[in-house]
Amino acid sequence: MIPELSAERHWTCPNCTIAAVTRRPEAPIPFHACKGLNGLNAPLVPDGTRCKVQTIEREDYIGREVVRTDGEGRPVMSVVTTRDDGTDCVIYAPTATAGAMEV
Amino acid sequence: MAWTNSKIFRPFLADVLDNTTAVDLGSDVPKVALYDNSITPDNDVTSANSAYTAGVWSATGGGTGTPQVFQAGQWAQGGVALASTSLNSGTADTVFYDAADTASGSAATLSNVFGCLVYDDTLTTPVADQGISYNYFGGTNAVTNGTLTVVWNANGIFRITL
Repeated sequence: MIPELSAERHWTCPNCTIAAVTRRPEAPIPFHACKGLNGLNAPLVPDGTRCKVQTIEREDYIGREVVRTDGEGRPVMSVVTTRDDGTDCVIYAPTATAGAMEV
Repeated sequence: MAWTNSKIFRPFLADVLDNTTAVDLGSDVPKVALYDNSITPDNDVTSANSAYTAGVWSATGGGTGTPQVFQAGQWAQGGVALASTSLNSGTADTVFYDAADTASGSAATLSNVFGCLVYDDTLTTPVADQGISYNYFGGTNAVTNGTLTVVWNANGIFRITL
């Protein structure tokens, strides 16, 4: 008998009730608009993972940078997932911008 | 010496507009190299000094930087290739370049990640690996035995507003 290998993975969020299932082996980490993180588009974690997921606010002056903000308008630099055996980090990269000037 | 902002390299735009360099963002494969806060990026450098391994964009470093942050098998020296790139000009007065999230392996241990260089790894002449933009993350970032993911802003990796 040949065992059927499944790539199905279940994901949950420790800050809200959202859950998801992925079935491709190479599927990226699914994201969701997290009510527990003020609406921020945050990553899910594998179901059953003991962890803490928290936002890290931008540490520097915003100036003219185009940054990611949460539902309350606070600039978010990253979301860090702290597990028993390590951490994951999702960095929200600002956009490099250029604009034309009207003379 | 430190990061302060995110910028498109001035010579990148100039070289594309006057046909000095044959950048094709529709087919070229840019890479994303990570750097610590010991460098001071400058978008007004020469074409040569905007390139990976030139100017401040040294190839040396390791898991904690000085200045490049990398780890073999997780986030390679020289960076990770962008995937699912797109150049968007469908919105009035706007052109922006975007890509899918860029992730490390699942067992990365990296620290002092302050920003990244986005450069054209396909380009070989006149300046190999010429810089496209640099993006400042806004502070220090780290990962321990996990995955580091760079999520590009909805406004793109770089954006030009007319």
